[in-house]
Amino acid sequence: MMPLEVQNNQSFDLAAIPFEDRKNFRDAVLEELSNGNRMIGLYPIEKTHSEKLIALFAEPDSSMIHIIGGIFDEHNLQFESWANEFPQTNYYECELSENYGYLPLNHPWLRPVRKQNFILGDKPYHFYRMDGEEIHEVAVGPIHAGVIEPGHFRFQCHGELVYNLEINLGYQHRGIEKLLLNSNPLQRIILSESIAGDTVIGHSHAHCNAIENLSNTQVSFRAQVVRSIAEEIERIAMHLSGLGGVANDIGFALVSSSYGRLRTLAINSLALLCGSRFGRGLFIYGGVRFDYTDEIIEETIANLQIIKNDVAVINEYLFSSTGVLTRFENTGIISKESAQQIGMVGLAARSSGLENDARVQFPYGAYRYNPVSLITLSSGDVFARARLRALEIDESLKFINDQLENLPQGEIKTNVENIIAKKGVISITEGWRGEIIHTVFTDEKGNLALYKIKDPSFNNWYGLSLALRRTAISDFPLCNKSFDLSYAGHDL
Amino acid sequence: MDIEILQGPIAIFVIIGIAPLFAGFINKQKAILTGRIGAPVLQPYYDLLRLFRKETINAKSSSFISQISPLINFIVIIVAAAMLPIGYWKPLISFNGDIILFAYTLGLARFFQILAAMDIGSSFEGMGASREATFALFAEPIFFFTLGSVAFISGLTSIYDIYHSIRLDNISYIVFIIICSISAFILAITECSRMPVDDPNTHLELTMIHEVMILDNSGFDLFLYLYSSYIKLFIYAILEISFFYPFSAKSYLLGIVIFIVGSIILSLTLAIVETITSRFKMKNIPQYLLFATAIGILNLLIYTFTK
Repeated sequence: MMPLEVQNNQSFDLAAIPFEDRKNFRDAVLEELSNGNRMIGLYPIEKTHSEKLIALFAEPDSSMIHIIGGIFDEHNLQFESWANEFPQTNYYECELSENYGYLPLNHPWLRPVRKQNFILGDKPYHFYRMDGEEIHEVAVGPIHAGVIEPGHFRFQCHGELVYNLEINLGYQHRGIEKLLLNSNPLQRIILSESIAGDTVIGHSHAHCNAIENLSNTQVSFRAQVVRSIAEEIERIAMHLSGLGGVANDIGFALVSSSYGRLRTLAINSLALLCGSRFGRGLFIYGGVRFDYTDEIIEETIANLQIIKNDVAVINEYLFSSTGVLTRFENTGIISKESAQQIGMVGLAARSSGLENDARVQFPYGAYRYNPVSLITLSSGDVFARARLRALEIDESLKFINDQLENLPQGEIKTNVENIIAKKGVISITEGWRGEIIHTVFTDEKGNLALYKIKDPSFNNWYGLSLALRRTAISDFPLCNKSFDLSYAGHDL
Repeated sequence: MDIEILQGPIAIFVIIGIAPLFAGFINKQKAILTGRIGAPVLQPYYDLLRLFRKETINAKSSSFISQISPLINFIVIIVAAAMLPIGYWKPLISFNGDIILFAYTLGLARFFQILAAMDIGSSFEGMGASREATFALFAEPIFFFTLGSVAFISGLTSIYDIYHSIRLDNISYIVFIIICSISAFILAITECSRMPVDDPNTHLELTMIHEVMILDNSGFDLFLYLYSSYIKLFIYAILEISFFYPFSAKSYLLGIVIFIVGSIILSLTLAIVETITSRFKMKNIPQYLLFATAIGILNLLIYTFTK
C-alpha cells in the first residue's frame, strides 16, 4: 500500500489518508521501518474513533512524512508488536496502549508512560528488578533534593555500577492536548508556550505553523525571520544553561557561573524584543507581535558579540581542563547504532553521529531560505553532548548575525483566515533539545479534532536509561544534565 | 592567677567559636571568585541558629543509634579539638601518645556517623556510608605518614610537642616538612569533604559522599552534625596551619598572628582550589588518596636515608 506523503507544514485532506485492514497496516508499518524511516507518531485519528489508527514516519532524505492508516475492530484492539525488531516503536506502542486501550501482542516490555498505576494488558506493572547478593536498588524521586521537576528513577546497582535504570514519569501530566482542543485561539498560544517552560519558542512556533497552514495563512517573510531569530536565541540561552549545568555538576564553579552570566545576556536579548525573557507573548497567528527596531537590533548584536567573545574563552578553559575531560569523556556513551535503534532525536542523537536536525531535514519558516549547518559528533558521550552545545552556539550566533543584518522588509502580521474543515497538518520544528512535532486534524465544522504533541524528551528519556548502563551511579547527575530532558514536555 | 591553666579552655572555645566563621569565609571568597555576591560571612551561624530552634524528626525505621549518634559525633569532635594547639598555647588535653587518641577519636565520630546512616535503611545513605568507609580506609594512612612521620623523626608523641619540635635549621628537614604539609592538605580536603573529592554545595544525592549520610537528619540533630562538620574543617585547618609556627619566634602573640594569617591564607587556598578544579570521578578518588600516602612514605624514606 502506498502511504500518503506530505511535507512539513503541508496541509492535506484527511480523506487522502489510505486506511487498510489490520494485517496490511502491520505490514506497511514494517515496510516503512525496514526502509529506515523513523516512527514519529502512532495514535488514533480521533479520540472517539479509536479504531482508526494512523502511523507517521519521517523520511529525512526526501524531507517527506509518510502517513499510514489502519482500521481495527472496535472490540479487538490488538496488533502484533513491532518493538522486538524495531525498538524505536516501543514507547509509541506503550503510549497507544495506555491512552486508547490497544494491546500490542508479544510486546517486549509494556510499561506505563504517564499513568503510574495504570494496568496495561492484564497484570499490574512492576518495576524491573535484579536479584543477587550484592545487588542493591536505589530509588530517587519523584521529590528530589534540588529544585527540579518530578520524576522517579530506579537504579539496579552492583556496587557503584548501574546495570539498569528505569525512568518513570507522568507526575507533570496536565492534559495539554485535551486543553488545546477545548480552548479559544488566544488561549491556545499561551498553552502551547507552556508545554515545556524551557522551549517556549520551539513549541509555540510549531503550534503557530500548524494552525496557519490549516487556515492557509501566509506569514510574511519578515515575521518568519523574526521567529527563527527568536528560536536561535532560545537555543543559545538553553545551550549556555546546559553547559553551565554540566560544569556545575562536576563542581567547576568558575565556568558554571560564567555560563550563567552569559545566559542572562541571551535571554535579555529576547526580552528586548518581546518583553519576556523566555519569549512568551511573541508569537501570534499570522506573524509575531513585536518587531525589531534599529535600537533593538543594535543592542542584540552587541549582546551577542559579548557572548561570542566570552564563550570562546570559557569553552577553551572548560574543554582543555584535564579534570573536566576525565569526567566527560567515555561517560554515558550512546553508540550510533543504539541511538538509531531507539529513535533518538535532536542534540543527543547528533552527538552520537546521527544526522537529525529538522531545520535541515524538514526545513520550515525562514530556514527554507537561510539554511543552518547540521553538526554531528561521533563519540556519543557526555563530552560530545557538551561540545556539540558549544559548536551549535557558534552556529546560531552566526545565523542570528546574518539575519539581523539583512532583515527583510514587510509587515510582521497578516490576517488569519478560518480554519478549513477536514484537514490535517504535521508541523515539525527543531527546538533546542530536538524535533518537536505537533499534529493537528480538524473536523467537519473546522474545529480541532486531534492535537498530538511530541516533545524530543519523549524519544530521548530512554536514551538516558541506556547511557547509564555500566556507568557509575555517581555519574548519573552529569549524564542526566548532558541530556537535559524535559519532564513537562514528556508528560504533557 | 596563672594564665597557663586558662590557655586550654580558651583555645577550645576559640576553636568552637570560630569554626563556622572559617567555613563562611571560604564560601564568601568562593562566591567572590566566581563573580557572585554570595551569602554573608556569618551565614553558617544563622544556619546553625535556625536548626538549633527546630524540632528533630527521626525516621520511623531508625533505632536509638540514630538518636545518640549526632551527640556522640559532636562531643567526640570537641574532644579531638581540645588536643590541638593554637599558637603556643598548651591544649587542654595533651599527653604522650595523644596523636593516636586524636586519630581515633575522629575515627570514632566517623564510625557512629556511618552506623547512623546505615541505621535508617535508606539506599542513599547506605551508599554514602559505603563511600565514606572506603575513602576513610585510604585517608587514614595519610595522617600517619604526615604528622606521624614528623613524630617518628622527632621521637615525640604528643601533638603539641610534635609541632613545636619542628626546627628550620636544616634544609632537607624544611623540604620534609613542606611535603608533609602538602600531604596534610590533601588529607584535609578528603576528610572535610571538600572539592575535588566531594562537593559540599551539591544537591545531587547520588554524587554526595558526606552530605548524603545526613539527608534524613533534621532540626537539632542536623545542627549537631553541621556544627561538628564545621569544627572538623577547622581542626584540619589547624593541623595544616600548625606546620608554620616555627616560622615565628616563640612568643604567644606571634603564635596568634600566624594562626590568624594562616587561617586566612588557607581559606583563600581552599576557595581557589574549589573554584578552579572539577570533581574527580568517584573511582579515581582512591588513586588520589594513595598518591598522598605515597608522597608521605617516600618523603619519610628519603629524609631518613639522607639525614
